Amino acid sequence: MYLFANATIYIGLALAIYSLLIMTLGISTKNQKLVNSGKGGVIALFVCAGLAMSSLFYLLGSSQFQYEYVRDYTSSELPVIYKLTALWAGNAGSLLLWTFFLTLYMMMITFSRKMNGNPMIPYIISILLANAVFFFFILGFVAKPFLLLDQIPTEGKGLNPMLQNPGMIIHPVTLYLGYVGLSVPFAFAMAALIMKNMDDFWIKMTRRWTIIAWLFLSLGNIFGGQWAYVELGWGGYWAWDPVENASFMPWLTATAFLHSVMIQERKNMLKVWNISLIIISYALTLFGTFLVRSGVLTSVHAFANSNLGLYFLIFMGIAVIMALYVLMSRYNLIKRSAGEFTSFASKESSFLINNLLLVGAAFAVFWGTIFPLVSEAVRGTKVTVGTPFFNKVEAPILLSMMFVMAVCPLLAWQRSTIKNLRENFLLPAIVAVIAMILMVVLGMTKAWAVIGYGVIALLLVTHYLEFYRGVKARRKMTKENPLLALYRLTVKNRRRYGGYLVHLGIACITMGIIGSQNYDVQTMKTIELGKSIEINNYRINYDKLDQKKEGINDIVYAQVTVFKDGKRLGSYEPEKVFYGHWDQPSSEVAIISSFKEDLYIVLSAWEDDGRATFIVKVNPMMSWLWIGSFMIVIGSLFAVWNGRYQNVTPRYTGVRREVF
Amino acid sequence: MKKFMVALLVLLVAVQWPFVRTEARQIDYKSPEFRAVASQFACTCGCGQDHFECDPNTCNLTKEFKKDLSDMMGKGMNKDQIRDYYVKIYGEEILTAPEKSGFSLAAWILPFAVLAAAAVGIFFIIRKWVKKKRDIETLSEPSGDEDGVESEILSSIIDEERKKYL
Repeated sequence: MYLFANATIYIGLALAIYSLLIMTLGISTKNQKLVNSGKGGVIALFVCAGLAMSSLFYLLGSSQFQYEYVRDYTSSELPVIYKLTALWAGNAGSLLLWTFFLTLYMMMITFSRKMNGNPMIPYIISILLANAVFFFFILGFVAKPFLLLDQIPTEGKGLNPMLQNPGMIIHPVTLYLGYVGLSVPFAFAMAALIMKNMDDFWIKMTRRWTIIAWLFLSLGNIFGGQWAYVELGWGGYWAWDPVENASFMPWLTATAFLHSVMIQERKNMLKVWNISLIIISYALTLFGTFLVRSGVLTSVHAFANSNLGLYFLIFMGIAVIMALYVLMSRYNLIKRSAGEFTSFASKESSFLINNLLLVGAAFAVFWGTIFPLVSEAVRGTKVTVGTPFFNKVEAPILLSMMFVMAVCPLLAWQRSTIKNLRENFLLPAIVAVIAMILMVVLGMTKAWAVIGYGVIALLLVTHYLEFYRGVKARRKMTKENPLLALYRLTVKNRRRYGGYLVHLGIACITMGIIGSQNYDVQTMKTIELGKSIEINNYRINYDKLDQKKEGINDIVYAQVTVFKDGKRLGSYEPEKVFYGHWDQPSSEVAIISSFKEDLYIVLSAWEDDGRATFIVKVNPMMSWLWIGSFMIVIGSLFAVWNGRYQNVTPRYTGVRREVF
Repeated sequence: MKKFMVALLVLLVAVQWPFVRTEARQIDYKSPEFRAVASQFACTCGCGQDHFECDPNTCNLTKEFKKDLSDMMGKGMNKDQIRDYYVKIYGEEILTAPEKSGFSLAAWILPFAVLAAAAVGIFFIIRKWVKKKRDIETLSEPSGDEDGVESEILSSIIDEERKKYL
């Protein structure tokens, strides 16, 4: 098994190098046979990565502790699902997963029906193959997943209990799919530049792939937040940790790209900017990996410190320099088609402001993340840049972004006249102002919250109007019933209405963030058995403290009965779990969720006499965070679903169809 | 004189009484007042949290730190005084966010400075593009009659085309 598993990695590396060379040779000599051989190499590479993954799954599942990775991240008592998902608990395994996804994407592109006969394929695959060479090299020489130990231990060290949660099964997978996914638009962009191919096709394909990567990146962040909320017992979901920031930055720049690319599609402008955004997004995924793996910054997510980060930094440097070189060498070609704007008050301008704010937000996150290093380099003091900084700096930028998001749909392309503006914005503005006045009258005094909810009200009305006017215009022509008209309107304009659904999802998430950040109430109390804690309109009766055993884990739990406004909601059991293979206990919190708020109960500590300490939080509007996340998924899928894509985009035959 | 001294003592105790009570009062480690103070300081136990979030029942470091904070609050020190006290001892490294002075001010200012500079840049770019468009329009402006007829024809074609896609 040892030989087989290692062979998959080294043969994979050899195949990646071979495929890259043969593909490049095929392109330069215009020899289709060589290119086909490279394509065969892609299949073989996928098989190698798949076999390596299967081998590691097998070793983990069958608890073969003679392997260092299995020993380090599993134990024999671990449930099978967590034994298997331990594959991405450590450096080597997670990079293997990354490599597998990379080869999977390569397969999908190489043999996609839509890309059949496309001369960009060899270029795209070559660029992705260069990535694959790097990752197989790392797996073969730096972070080896199949290392044997000198002595066979009887038991493994076990998996960090924090990672034993369904959220942790999905979070890394989706995040990696997002990270790797962003290398696809990068490869498309580079291929288009190298081929001097500046038509619409590649940008449409790129946009599609970017939405997919963006969706996975969003899901990765959402699952991460959800995991933190239920598993860490801290009651929060986002801590502005360097690693969280590392995944948020490419998300912001990819979002910017998804918007500015519309200007390129419509007006054939901003080509240099769009390609720059793709390069930045790709580079930021590598930068994030560098942060996680190098240990240069303190992070709760950090993997064991190693020199792995340095390899990523070097690879990122090479990739960025080469990308910039290609971009500069084609600069005149893409600059030539720069167009013009009709007016300041137009959708085009609002997209530019949207880009300014999104990239500005990404820069602020970047600057805050690296500032400890800058400070240490300049004056020898490594300051901490934590939540207060990011909340203060990001809040106004992202709130402005929400405002732009609210007004943009109602701005006309080309030029919005004063009459347009008045017709489109009078009603939403009035509703938003009334909503804000109502909030103040009802006792909301925090300015940021009132402004934030006011902007959300504006956004909801403008988006409602977009749907309403679309349906109305359609019905005028077709006389359909409203629901059918709505259905057909959205299905015929998937990208547009899918995008609006995503906007509404973001609005829901923002509602949750503003509510939970500004109006959370919490208390920490030590009480005797039979006594209760009161918080807002909740009463939590402490009924029982007991312990039980689950496998090799000891669980101490408190039984509490929760009442709201005197009405019994039920009995709950917040727990503290002590693991057989881990020193640190973890909290299993009790969460009572509703649309209005979450009641979050943590059993913090207890005494011999039965007294127990509870941390109780009321987190307003938390459910809206998850509802909004769900809407983002639905909206993104709706936007990329097959739809009209095949109908409107002709099969590309290419400017230089020598090899494909 | 003795009576006066006793009266003075009683008065002093009476004046001090609220403070004594405050000190004796158990501060809720999850209260907004405590959050305002404790969230300024980073916990160094490796949890990556501040001293408000870090659980005193699993981290001894924050347990002691919270107790000290609570004592200082009991003595009437406000959040800025407590902050200054710790910065003097441990330096800026103990804070969860950089100071808004000296070199650290750059952390706060640079994002907005860059944003403002980029906004000005975008303003001029849009102005340039709008001007370019206007110049082109001025050069190729058609006469009124032709324009009316053309736009009528154009709108009827668009209408026909639109119906095909519904």
